[in-house]
Amino acid sequence: MGDGGSALRTARTRARRVLPLLVGALVLALVLLVNLIPGPEEDDRPLSPGNPGPAGAMAVTEVLSAEGIDVVRATSSEDALDALSAGPATLFLNDPRQYLSADQVAELASASDRAVLAAPGDRQLSELADGFAVVGPAPVGLAGDAPTVAAQCADPDATAAGRITVAGTAYAGSTECFAVELPAAADGPAGGDTDQDTDQDDARTGGLYVTGSSGRVSVLGAPELLSNASITEEGHAALALRALGSSPTLVWYEPTGADIVSVGEGIDPLTLLPPWVNPLLLWLLACAVLAMLWRGRRLGPLAAEPLPVVVRAAETAEGRARLYQDARSVDHAARNLRAATLARMARRLRVDRSASPLEVVDAAARHTGRPRVELEQRLLHHTPTSHRDLVHWAQEILDLEKEITSS
Amino acid sequence: MVITGRFVLLALLGVVPVILFPGATPILLWATLLAVLAAVDAALAASPRRVGIVRTLPDSVRLGEECTSALVLRNDTARRLRATVREAWQPSAGARDPEQRVVIPPGESRRMSVLLQPSRRGILRVGTVTIRSSGPLGMAARQLAVPAPGVLRVLPPFNSKRHLPSKLRRLRELDGQSAVQIRGAGTEFDSLRDYVRGDDVRSIDWRATARRRDTVVRTWRPERDRRVVVVLDTSRTSAARVLDEPRLDTGIEAALLLSVLAERGGDKVHFLAFDRRLRARVDSTAKGNLLSSLVTAMAPLEAELIEADWSRVPAQVRAASAHRSLVVLLTSLDAGAVEEGLLPALPGLTERHVVLVASVRDPRLEEMRGDRTTAAATFRAAAAERALLDRAAVAQQIRLLGAEVVDAVPSELPPQLADAYIRLKAAGRL
Repeated sequence: MGDGGSALRTARTRARRVLPLLVGALVLALVLLVNLIPGPEEDDRPLSPGNPGPAGAMAVTEVLSAEGIDVVRATSSEDALDALSAGPATLFLNDPRQYLSADQVAELASASDRAVLAAPGDRQLSELADGFAVVGPAPVGLAGDAPTVAAQCADPDATAAGRITVAGTAYAGSTECFAVELPAAADGPAGGDTDQDTDQDDARTGGLYVTGSSGRVSVLGAPELLSNASITEEGHAALALRALGSSPTLVWYEPTGADIVSVGEGIDPLTLLPPWVNPLLLWLLACAVLAMLWRGRRLGPLAAEPLPVVVRAAETAEGRARLYQDARSVDHAARNLRAATLARMARRLRVDRSASPLEVVDAAARHTGRPRVELEQRLLHHTPTSHRDLVHWAQEILDLEKEITSS
Repeated sequence: MVITGRFVLLALLGVVPVILFPGATPILLWATLLAVLAAVDAALAASPRRVGIVRTLPDSVRLGEECTSALVLRNDTARRLRATVREAWQPSAGARDPEQRVVIPPGESRRMSVLLQPSRRGILRVGTVTIRSSGPLGMAARQLAVPAPGVLRVLPPFNSKRHLPSKLRRLRELDGQSAVQIRGAGTEFDSLRDYVRGDDVRSIDWRATARRRDTVVRTWRPERDRRVVVVLDTSRTSAARVLDEPRLDTGIEAALLLSVLAERGGDKVHFLAFDRRLRARVDSTAKGNLLSSLVTAMAPLEAELIEADWSRVPAQVRAASAHRSLVVLLTSLDAGAVEEGLLPALPGLTERHVVLVASVRDPRLEEMRGDRTTAAATFRAAAAERALLDRAAVAQQIRLLGAEVVDAVPSELPPQLADAYIRLKAAGRL
């Protein structure tokens, strides 16, 4: 014994053993690599000019480009300001997450010749000189579909559009177009019950397309009308093209988280750490890996144990008991208990095996001196009906049996 | 290659230069130092490939007893071997110290003893011996699992041996017993002796008395050279555990006691382990010690998860003993299995032989029967009563077919089976 073989053979067996692991690791690495390679990014943001889906706004920008308007997508605040200062330009600001501050919005609006703000927040409007204010979400119909509203104002763009049918937010301003009436604020959800509430005194009104006092800044409370899905409905296209296409350049600006202006000079807490922390952590990580390798290496292969089957002999009886209980089979259980008790009593009282139950009861009555009728009633004629009754009766006949077998 | 705790400690020491001189350089330098040290150390370690292994192992050990597996390791290299050696016994071998450190100078041998206390009957195996040979610095080691197969046969414990003296005494009381005390105790004529007062007058041999002119009585002894065939059922029903011991093991205990007793009683013993085919067979007429050949044959028996084929048993019994014999069937009295398997085959045995069916009774059923405190317990009691009634009915059917039944809890089965044998022998029914 003790043939260690050659180093080559050991290497070969070990290589064969780790081969599946290697293949798995390779596949995993490939999958990771494929996922990490930046593919052609699909633009699926709503109202993005590069998004051809129903929620995108590619249609309107394509039409504007075809009309000779230069559509510039700005990715940052600086980009937008640069593009606006290059010449007469319209700004379309779509900031659904409200990344920009009021100052930034005011700055952008003042830099542009004409600005259309898509559903801005109340906070963002505070620095504008035009006196806009958010009134509230425009009511929607009972079925959740947006009502159709007519322009009903002096703004030529809105009048040209005529009617729009889209949900959005109503704003207050100097020229309110597409006015909608909102129920009182305290009246629960705004949708659904507009019809009943129209005659209330405190009902507020607001417009879905509001132009400021200067006429240079407009707020579009319902930017969804620009989306590819709904641009063809009612007068959406007219409103969009007139509002956005007034200058030779359209700056389409969608702010991102990077445009958030930090307040004051923060201190990076990492700069407070001593310079050796990063190398130390790296080294400790390496040490941890080494410790894993040290503790994880087994002293030889595992020894297999052929395990025997484990079947408890009483398992069938216990399974039968659970069956009785699940089926609430009280009379079955009672019959078993009675038969077994009678059989044991017959053996103890030396009654013949073939004797009838009545004969056994006779013998029991003689043996114990109890009245025969009582025994017969208890042993033979009582049939338990409920669980509680069964337990009680089973204990009774057990006591009776003990009395006979012990005396 | 294997790294040691010392290597990891040294790697942790690298924290000091990393803190003192932050940057990549100390990390790279320390890592290089570690790699070089590990490589040198592993290269200087004695090759585990050139270690000779010789194992001395007893053939068999009785369950519950200890034995040692001795490994002699010979260092054939020119270097000192500092190694951790592990003998990979399967867990139920109960190896007390399978991992040991050995230091062997070049060209010498060392002995390493592993204490085994098996916890299960059967054939235990060891597949490999692993040698982890570390270098002089104790930083890195070379490891190799050397195939070194070994087999240890763990014999049944024969705990029922303690009943043997009392049963043998009872057997001897039968043997040579004059007809005076128990007439009919055996039917085989033994010898003549003088009449003493108190002898049964019916056993006076008048012919001899006439010859001797002195009153002479005949003495009797139990028949000798009768045949006992013990059939142990190794089918699925023998896998069930009663008091956490498989029925098979209880059957083995009972078969051992009965076989040894019958052999001392002067009978010929044949042992068969059977389910659908013969698993083991031992004959007392063969050479050698009956007990040792029995335990050796019984050691590897395992319950097979198949149904027993009782229709083949009569032929097997006939093959073992052509004459009228006492056939002891060690099986279970589970209603379904017996009704379909054993009962149809039983008449074929009872017409030629005296048949004794021995079975282990589960004391858990008795416990379940008595507990009637809750609804669930009462249903369990009812189910236990049903199982006991079924059992009694099966036993009754077997008795009606002309066989005897011994039904006892595990600790009582071997002595009760021995008692039944002695009773049959005393009654001259063998």
